[in-house]
Amino acid sequence: MKATRSMVLVSSDPESMDRGALEVFNRLQKQILAYGLQEEITLSMISDVSKKSANPLVLVYPDAVIYGSVTADDVPLIVEEHLYKGRVVEHKQISPYDLTGKIAWLTARKGTLPAEYRIVLKNVGLIDPENIDEYIINEGYEALGTVLKEMTPEEVYTEIKNSGLRGRGGAGFPTGLKWQFVAGTKSEKKYVICNADESEPGTFKDRLVLEGDPHAIIEAMSIAAYAVGADEGFVYIRGEYGLAITRMAKAIEQAREYGLLGEDIFGTGFSFDLHIHAGAGAYICGEETALIESIEGNRGEPRARPPYPTTAGLWQKPTVVNNVETLANIPAIIRNGAEWYKAIGTPSSPGTKVYTILGNVNVTGLIEVPMGITLREVISIYARGMKNGARLKIAQTGGSSGSIIPASLQDTPMDFDSYSKAGVSLGSGALLIGDENVCAVDLAKVLLNFFRFESCGKCNPCRIGNKRAYQILWNISEGVGTMQDLTDLSQLSDQLYELSNCGLGQTAGSPLHDILAHFRAEVEAHVKLKVCPTGVCQMSGRRAYQID
Amino acid sequence: MTKPKVATDWMCGCAGCHMSILDIDERILKVVELVDLRSSPITDLKEPDKDGVTVGILEGGINNTHNEHVAKRMRERCKILIALGDCAVFGGVPAMRNFCGVDAALKRAYIEAESNDEDGKIPSNPELAEMTRVRAVHEVVPVDLHIPGCPPDADVIFYALVELAEGRIPEIKDDKLHWH
Amino acid sequence: MIKLTIDGKTIEVQEGKTVLEAAEAAGLYVPTLCHHPKLTPYGGCRLCMVDVEGARTLQPSCTLPATDGMVVNTHSEKVLNARKFVLTLIFSERNHFCMYCQVSDGDCELQNRAYDEGMTHWELQPNWQPFEVDASHDFIVLDNNRCILCRRCTRACGELVGNYTLGFEERGADSLLVADYNVPLGESTCISCGTCVQICPTGALIDRQSAYQGKETDVEHNIGVCVECSVGCQRDVLTRDNRLVRIEGKWDAPLNNGLLCDKGRFFPLEDDRPRLLTPLVRKDGNLKAATWEEALNTIAKGLGQDNDLAALASTRLPSEDLALFKSIFADHLNAKMVTSLDDATPDLAAYAEKLGKPFESSLEALKDTDLVFSLELDLVDEHQVAGFFVKRQLMESTKLIVADSKENRLADHANLVMQLEAGNEADFLASLSTAVVNGSADEDFAQAASLLKSAQKPCIVLGKTFARNANEQAMDTLLALAETLNAALIIVKGNANSMAASQLGLDKPFKKNGYQSAFIMLGDEDPSQKLVKALEEVPFVVAQAAYSSQLTGNADVVLPVTMWAEQSGTYLSMDGRLQTIGAALEAPEDVLTSHEALLKIAEMLSIEIDQDWKSRLMERVPTVAIKEN
Repeated sequence: MKATRSMVLVSSDPESMDRGALEVFNRLQKQILAYGLQEEITLSMISDVSKKSANPLVLVYPDAVIYGSVTADDVPLIVEEHLYKGRVVEHKQISPYDLTGKIAWLTARKGTLPAEYRIVLKNVGLIDPENIDEYIINEGYEALGTVLKEMTPEEVYTEIKNSGLRGRGGAGFPTGLKWQFVAGTKSEKKYVICNADESEPGTFKDRLVLEGDPHAIIEAMSIAAYAVGADEGFVYIRGEYGLAITRMAKAIEQAREYGLLGEDIFGTGFSFDLHIHAGAGAYICGEETALIESIEGNRGEPRARPPYPTTAGLWQKPTVVNNVETLANIPAIIRNGAEWYKAIGTPSSPGTKVYTILGNVNVTGLIEVPMGITLREVISIYARGMKNGARLKIAQTGGSSGSIIPASLQDTPMDFDSYSKAGVSLGSGALLIGDENVCAVDLAKVLLNFFRFESCGKCNPCRIGNKRAYQILWNISEGVGTMQDLTDLSQLSDQLYELSNCGLGQTAGSPLHDILAHFRAEVEAHVKLKVCPTGVCQMSGRRAYQID
Repeated sequence: MTKPKVATDWMCGCAGCHMSILDIDERILKVVELVDLRSSPITDLKEPDKDGVTVGILEGGINNTHNEHVAKRMRERCKILIALGDCAVFGGVPAMRNFCGVDAALKRAYIEAESNDEDGKIPSNPELAEMTRVRAVHEVVPVDLHIPGCPPDADVIFYALVELAEGRIPEIKDDKLHWH
Repeated sequence: MIKLTIDGKTIEVQEGKTVLEAAEAAGLYVPTLCHHPKLTPYGGCRLCMVDVEGARTLQPSCTLPATDGMVVNTHSEKVLNARKFVLTLIFSERNHFCMYCQVSDGDCELQNRAYDEGMTHWELQPNWQPFEVDASHDFIVLDNNRCILCRRCTRACGELVGNYTLGFEERGADSLLVADYNVPLGESTCISCGTCVQICPTGALIDRQSAYQGKETDVEHNIGVCVECSVGCQRDVLTRDNRLVRIEGKWDAPLNNGLLCDKGRFFPLEDDRPRLLTPLVRKDGNLKAATWEEALNTIAKGLGQDNDLAALASTRLPSEDLALFKSIFADHLNAKMVTSLDDATPDLAAYAEKLGKPFESSLEALKDTDLVFSLELDLVDEHQVAGFFVKRQLMESTKLIVADSKENRLADHANLVMQLEAGNEADFLASLSTAVVNGSADEDFAQAASLLKSAQKPCIVLGKTFARNANEQAMDTLLALAETLNAALIIVKGNANSMAASQLGLDKPFKKNGYQSAFIMLGDEDPSQKLVKALEEVPFVVAQAAYSSQLTGNADVVLPVTMWAEQSGTYLSMDGRLQTIGAALEAPEDVLTSHEALLKIAEMLSIEIDQDWKSRLMERVPTVAIKEN
């Protein structure tokens, strides 16, 4: 399949539209099709870049070329000369000065387009997951062999440390360091757990690996077990993932048959076996200590930390808990080396990330790209633009407990450190993209409903605070909110972060904080004017205390 | 300097808090030395002065539109509003009606009670105030000081009145603070 | 040792202590709700949050391990705001009406915490959502409206008692305290130990019998040993205006650490048997009220020089009374039969004397064992607190073997259940010994032996049936087995003071044998039908009793005496602990203690008695070392 090599953007601000931007767009579409370039070139509209004297604009990327005052008649020349033959049409080119809108990424990206690079999803969709031979033919279990025959446990976790791999479940903790902690804790019994609970709304990346390439997980867990000194592992798969459970069970069975699980693997004296534990419909069991409690047969309530699972985990033994995506990187790192991995992505966040794309865009699904891509690129290149040419208004990155960001943050590179510097969270990489028809209050209300439902109930701030926040948002969406409610929401957001026992509570306040920080006017319209600007909220006057 | 004016009123309460005020016994002589006691439900003047008082004291929670009116009137006409007693501060015992709702409560009182006969019917005179959810005073108007208790001790009320009269905000804590 | 700074004070604590423990050791105040010194920390209420330098957020001090160099602030502005916020949330969650709650004004920890923070009102109003009240249980009412979901009750029901009846249903804001799989508490597996009521910080779990009868500030406390069985738990008897209000455990009590069973906590308050308030003498076939003098004279005449006399004493009475009883009836009157009402275990006592030294262990051994072997003993039915020690360890790695001749409820929890015939204990133990040393063809014995051998600190507990049939052969086998396995040995004997009775030699089995007269020192015991029948043919019966019964109805002279709460004395528990109980109530006017009544009889019969009961108690070699508490 051909990789995208060019991005063409047409300015669609009101002035550009007045001057025929739509006709330019349509003509470009026709011409690109005529030259058969539609696979290599993406075309979309961009509404927050314009130059008064030169609208409409056509921007070509990664060449960082801007054409101004483009008419439909200019299009065939631009397509033939620039897009087809690679020669810039200089008489139509304008300088980037006085361009309004965010174009920083334009110059930063000059040269290469963020193309998909599949490490985690290497085999997904290309091999039969129920046939271990197909996995083996595609470099399968090679890494395990290398590890068991040529490396010491210390060498293994050092290599992972050097690769810079960080947890992909949302926390971003350096994986090699986690393995080193467990390896360094003295205990006769240790465990490796794969967190396949994937309950973050909007996230379905782990599912693809579990269903499409289960052996990658088995191999990775075996490598982890060797590195830390464990002999038993659990794959905790959410109960709703029936197919994933079946395929993983089959894969384990086949691995055992081939002697790749069990006693004395590869005749090296290393023994490791895996069990599957199915979840039962609780988002909180994706939290590592609640997951451990669940395996032990208790209510899925997160433990007090410290101690952390690395010292006292499953049955109080040192335990490694890694996300599916994190583990899926391991065999490739061992095969190709830490240096290879470090070269991909950004210095603070090496490697690739699987992002799931959802919302009001033309193409939803998931992609695996090097870390550091911006939201704008995701929307423009992979999602093929906003649906119906709408404007990006609001996005949520990282699942329900990620951040709600306004369009102004769409050019921040999506890696752990850049996002953290901007005060937002990358989380699991689920990108929910909303246009002007999405109401910030409604979005926050839906999210808080999720949190209140999924809260385990152990600690007061989360159990009581989430329900209260949901009720307040409900009231606001029904037109009976007060200004005091906004103060209460702000306080709830702060205290949820400060006082909660686990990540669910701590991040449940993020939507509250974010809508007040970035969409305050919209929220206040609901309260002061009793109006929902997008028309989404019911505003029918029913108070929350009468519900539930 | 003129003495600060004090007015009280009651809403959905049992009058116990006003009885507690009276329990300051002969200390009331000291109180009227320091303040100008204007209106109260148990004296001649019933409405707080139109041109305002310094301190307004409300007993009882809000359970109908008339109570809302009383609370709002007091809030408008006083500088410092005190919610006196558990009903005013929390909603109190009457707030239990919120569990079943107004309709069920009216039905029980006027139709289904053991002392009703077949002619029992819910009063519907348009001049009657409309019943609402029972609320604490601060759910309807901003309150400056809460003195909980069921009822609050006479000693605490006396202390509060003297503090206010002498221009200080009373501190309700330690042995002055109880919710029962 | 770890050094940390809290509120500017440098504190040294052992490694493994939490910040809360360090703060409390230094006398600093940190409010808590879900925390309890007897339970593992939970970290749910978030009231104990403290400011730790360098930490991202506030930290819960109850679960946070203290580390060297930690700098903690327990009352920064952030902390104070957080506390108020947490309390505000709790009050807004359910329905907290202080006005008419029975723990208001001092006994409610939630209310007290609110007062400590100076809360005069609620920033957030509740939803007014009603919750269920479960009043199905005989002794406990569960009001979910007042529950703050601190989980102290469920943790106690599991960690302290090992019963695991209480649990939580649903999650999040729908979480609900339930019994078993949400059945009414009165129909559940609840064993009415009452620990949940004692540990509940609010008025959610209510003691039916004592609600509204007295707050902490209204009642008097009387700490003493329980007289319902021979475990000898320490308990606190609360009285008010000379009336029993409630019985509670004391968390800092030795051995039982605050736990009690239904027999010790709830049943005593239910006693409604009619009291005997005046001496009675049979005249013309009917019992008539009489003076003490008249009654004593009748006794003197009836007993006189006659030694065809059977004298029986209740082991619910203190050692002082039993010693005096023995002095009068055995030493001076030479009565034919002087013994206790308890099931006698003379063989056991004789064995100790033959051995020359004690061989049983303290009940503390049951608290820290990795294998319990229970022989003919149902610790779910009797001596329940000892059963709690066993049950609560089963969720860890402690194993349990139950061997019995009849149905045994403890067997429900056992890893291995074995059958034996009553009376065949010697053979059974012999087979077990052989299995341990040489192996066995029998599957059960083999498994038992394997479990016993792999245990580091096993505990063998045996019941009354064994104690009664404890012939020398059985005892020799048992002791040898215990030595081989390095096992602690505990033998349950009888009622509260049966050990003292045994030490005083009041352990002859009583059979009706045509006695001419009988003296029954009943105290407040409820006489068995067997005893009533046995006395029917005795011409002259004197009864000292607190309550009217068929036995007193048939007697010739009845002396009214005190019940347990009105008397004081010393009791010897089954594992040798000497503990006292003091009178909590004043007896009715004409009623004397059993001890006083005996002294009057001695005086009437011109008997000089020796009051050194303690030496008498120590005369025999006991089966377990006697220690004073």
